[in-house]
Amino acid sequence: MSSSISWVTSRNPDAGNIFAIAGVVIKEMYRRKDFYVLFAMIVVITLLLGSVSFFNDDRIVRYVKDGCLLLIWLSSLVIAITTAARQIPAERESRTIYPLLAKPVGRGEFVAGKFAGCWLACGISLLVFYFFFGLISASREHTLVFPTYFQALWLHWMCLGIVVALVLLGSLVFTAPSSNATTCFIVVLGILFSGGHLNGVAIQMRGFSGALVYAIYYAIPHLEWYDVRELIIHNWPPVDWLACAGATIYAALYIGMLLCCAWLVFRRKAMTL
Amino acid sequence: MIRLVMALLLVCCVTLATVLDRQFQSSRARQNSSAGVLAALMGDSRRLFAHEFFAMADTYFHSGMYPTIFDFHQPGTELDLKEESHDKPKGAPEHEKETSFLGAPKDWMDRFGRHFYPTSHTHLHGGNEREMLPWLKLAAEMDPHEIDPYLTASYWLRTTLHKPDEAEQFLREGLRANPDSCEILLELGRVYFYNRQNARVARNIFVLARQKWRKQDATGNKPDPHVYEEILGEIVRADRAQGDVKKELADLEELVQVARGKDVLLREIQELKARLGEPKQ
Repeated sequence: MSSSISWVTSRNPDAGNIFAIAGVVIKEMYRRKDFYVLFAMIVVITLLLGSVSFFNDDRIVRYVKDGCLLLIWLSSLVIAITTAARQIPAERESRTIYPLLAKPVGRGEFVAGKFAGCWLACGISLLVFYFFFGLISASREHTLVFPTYFQALWLHWMCLGIVVALVLLGSLVFTAPSSNATTCFIVVLGILFSGGHLNGVAIQMRGFSGALVYAIYYAIPHLEWYDVRELIIHNWPPVDWLACAGATIYAALYIGMLLCCAWLVFRRKAMTL
Repeated sequence: MIRLVMALLLVCCVTLATVLDRQFQSSRARQNSSAGVLAALMGDSRRLFAHEFFAMADTYFHSGMYPTIFDFHQPGTELDLKEESHDKPKGAPEHEKETSFLGAPKDWMDRFGRHFYPTSHTHLHGGNEREMLPWLKLAAEMDPHEIDPYLTASYWLRTTLHKPDEAEQFLREGLRANPDSCEILLELGRVYFYNRQNARVARNIFVLARQKWRKQDATGNKPDPHVYEEILGEIVRADRAQGDVKKELADLEELVQVARGKDVLLREIQELKARLGEPKQ
């Protein structure tokens, strides 16, 4: 009995620490102007796109959805990468990391808290973006396929989870947040554009180089799975829910693995004033 | 010293004015042409965008199921959209074979990944063809000398979308940029013939298209012979709609020289000659 009480009392503060750190990150997001500027840009450009008339036909809508979703993806990547990239370097620069890492906050909790904060912040911004997208889409098409939109939002959020974890790991490897953000942007966009085609490239290449490319294909997180824009734009039916669950588990595994790596790197970092 | 600097600045101003004046004149000349501001700003790079936007229209035509640069694309095959709008669709099995670029899944990841993007080959229908129009319009604005966007947009506007006025307006824009295009004239004639039921005006436009084709042929530009056959076919239909048997006979005899299926045409010629009371050959 006493052992279970001690387990509860020793675990509860951990979760509390994580959520306390996450809460600070979320507060930081709504205090900064990044989200508002990006959201205003999405609104203005989407409304401008929607106001253009082609051949006097006001029922043309897919190009508006296409443009809006592209902006949402770009903006969410900007928010995720820039928010995650500055978390740990900013704490070190302002020296607030030292009192934070004093008992009872461990390094693992610190990394988990930062991740949870960035990921939740991305989720909140995605909710706002997709709500606006749903409004625009429903106003033009007079219909809203809720399951497809929910899946798109969910898979997008899972994708951002992997991105945030990757950037947090990068922020412990790279010295400057700018170089980390730039590298992560290139890697993420590279995976989104060509990650799914590496197997085809590997098959055409023979020998060791082909095997190497195939190994990279299996090793990288396949972020392109989470981009279901084509399905939404062209009104395809929702993705199979089992596939959706599979993609969620896949994302969870990568997030866990990247966070473990980040924790291992962070544990070895010397934190001296 | 100040006077010298002032004189230098004055010289600079005059020199800059003479340079900018020439730039401005050439820019204004370009703006007066059909290419407009885009040409002045983007130069030849807009052609790349025009091609991309036309490919986007084809992507929309297939509801997002479209090969990327990594996917196998048989060389020498035309875009589906282009074929469909040029009235020469291929047979279904050949078309399926040509466009099944995905093939079988290469591995389990590939198989799983196919849940998240369109994998079945479909074409827009039921009025949804309108969704391609913005990309075709943009493609035409980017490169007004590329005629495919005009022909494709006009085909869908005058057929399934029932918007002949918009089709004509767009074709006339194309004609201003490409005054010697027999294809655009052929499409314009079809708007008058099939949508406005004005066979007289349509025939005049078809005849003009024939002149343009012959002119291109004479100058060695090698225009598409299929287009010539189509023009002559439309002229014959216009003659028939006007009830002018003599003209129809003359045009049929011209058509039979270039047509691939001659048997039906020869029979029609015999029938027309019989109606006119001429001896059979």
